[in-house]
Amino acid sequence: MKKRFRAVIAAGPMGPGTRLAVILYIVVLVLIPLAAIVEKGLTGGVDGIWRAISTPMASKALFLTLWTAALMAVINAVMGTATAWVLVRHPFPGSRFLATIVDLPFAIPTLVAGIMLVTLFGPQTALGAWFGRHGLQIVFANPGIVLALLFITMPLVVRAVEPVLMELDPAEEEASFTLGAGSWTTFFRVVLPPILPAIASGTIQCFARAVAEFGSVVVVSGNIPFRTLTAPVYIFSEVEGDRPAVAAAVSIVLLLIAIGLLFSTRWLQGFVRRERV
Amino acid sequence: MRRNVPVPATLGAWLALILLPALLPVGVAHAQGATERTLTLGVYTTPREAYANGIIPAFQEFWKAQRGQDVRFETSYMGSGAQSRAIVGGFEADIAALSLEPDVTRIQEAGLIKHDWKATPHGGMISQSIVVIGVRPGNPKGIRDWDDLCRPGVQVLTPNVRTSGGAMWNIAAIFGAALRGQTSAAPGDTAAAVTLLSKILAHVTVMDKGARESMLTFERGIGDAIITYENEIMTAKLAGQPYDYVIPKSTLLIVNPAAVVDTYAEKHGSADVAKAFVEFLVTPEAQRAFATQGYRPVEKTVGAEVAAQFPPVPDLFTLADLGDWPKIIKKVFDEGGVYDRALNAAQGTK
Repeated sequence: MKKRFRAVIAAGPMGPGTRLAVILYIVVLVLIPLAAIVEKGLTGGVDGIWRAISTPMASKALFLTLWTAALMAVINAVMGTATAWVLVRHPFPGSRFLATIVDLPFAIPTLVAGIMLVTLFGPQTALGAWFGRHGLQIVFANPGIVLALLFITMPLVVRAVEPVLMELDPAEEEASFTLGAGSWTTFFRVVLPPILPAIASGTIQCFARAVAEFGSVVVVSGNIPFRTLTAPVYIFSEVEGDRPAVAAAVSIVLLLIAIGLLFSTRWLQGFVRRERV
Repeated sequence: MRRNVPVPATLGAWLALILLPALLPVGVAHAQGATERTLTLGVYTTPREAYANGIIPAFQEFWKAQRGQDVRFETSYMGSGAQSRAIVGGFEADIAALSLEPDVTRIQEAGLIKHDWKATPHGGMISQSIVVIGVRPGNPKGIRDWDDLCRPGVQVLTPNVRTSGGAMWNIAAIFGAALRGQTSAAPGDTAAAVTLLSKILAHVTVMDKGARESMLTFERGIGDAIITYENEIMTAKLAGQPYDYVIPKSTLLIVNPAAVVDTYAEKHGSADVAKAFVEFLVTPEAQRAFATQGYRPVEKTVGAEVAAQFPPVPDLFTLADLGDWPKIIKKVFDEGGVYDRALNAAQGTK
């Protein structure tokens, strides 16, 4: 009986051939290109990487990328959770339509997202001029970068939190109310703890995605070195400027950040799964 | 005991699925009619209209009359540096027509151009222009010369020098004008020239990837002045965009090269038609097409014909006045060069 079962598995799509093909696929598609970048970046040794990222232009670019991504991630954590909360717990007429809209930023090329923002908030548009009169420049300045990053990562927190929220039993919240807790207390004591790992995981994915964002940022930021030049755009211009080693060195730093974050996401997702069991 | 599993079948199917799309184009790539020839052009962004609307149709007629063959063109337009790197990286263009000489030199150094491409009556160059300042209609900010770009409240556009050949011409023009004593900087004073450059850079609000993107940003209403080629302004005006431009008292003559990429042309069996095309670029017919799009002709008779179209420049200098490209790149654009220093200083002034 057991034997026959195994034979069925082995001959079907779950056979060892498939496993080998998948391993090969990941190696060819992800690991080999990564190794090539790391090799290029290490041509000048670890010293070379340090020299490349400690130039004022590179370090300013890295700093700008990190802080705009961090600010965006915090905003997304709060607003994404709120969005998921409303969509799951307080549906209203049209909320299903809105839930679909949430995914839209993933379907739009990021370059187009950037152009949309410039068209809407450019200094010559009505909206952009209004902000300008109030001393706030949106595009070709740092707020534009944060706005672009918010747009392109919007679905991530919502989609991470939504399924966990759906599994929570509303009875627990009702019990909390019945026992006299206010809505804020209920949220922080009853709802938040189980969804926290999902929020963190979604937020980290936002951050990792934002640190690497090029298409929309290159359009909205203005790309002025020291002021509005982000690390991915800096990498691009170094490649174009025939300094592939510098570009690869800065890429390695972004890569390390992304890898660290992705592993912590895995860890958090494992945590979520254990919590749910 | 475990039964024998047809592993290779599963794996083979996977691999076939992955590899098949990669193999497909090989079969069709070289199917070619006997009377039709194909030329692949690798061109930088700005002369698109001159090629597409003027030169390519004219050459197709010319070649048909000469040899009775149709020529099909496959043309790629990209930033000059990117185009040059693409050709070195394996984009098999028969002809490279780029913004500046170092981008052709790169292809030559990769061993893909084997002939002395500068051995033509015009030194391998096919078109000329000058660096100018584009302004809003009526020039509301009263911009007349380089120094006006660092007046308070003036926003300037110029592309990124790492990605744009055009931006390198722009910076070289300002630097040269300053060294020649035609600006507020003392003649021959490199430090003063760097200061002027840094003051202008402090007013730059957007650095786009290329000259054409920079124009599009300006047309979107951003900036009071754009440092660009004269031909870019003319092309935009032909397309109905409202531009005015001022020619600084002292500015740089831009010369654009074109050359047959021998390795690829030989491989495609198109060396003869490629060579004929590059030679065609300096015929009066092609030069008139360039002039229509705002390029100053390299060919003298057409130059005289269209002289009225192009205002004279009080102090026009060439690259030779600044040295040559390798020297300028080392002095101005390499790490720690004039441009880097100006950019660093610009950060302090803003």
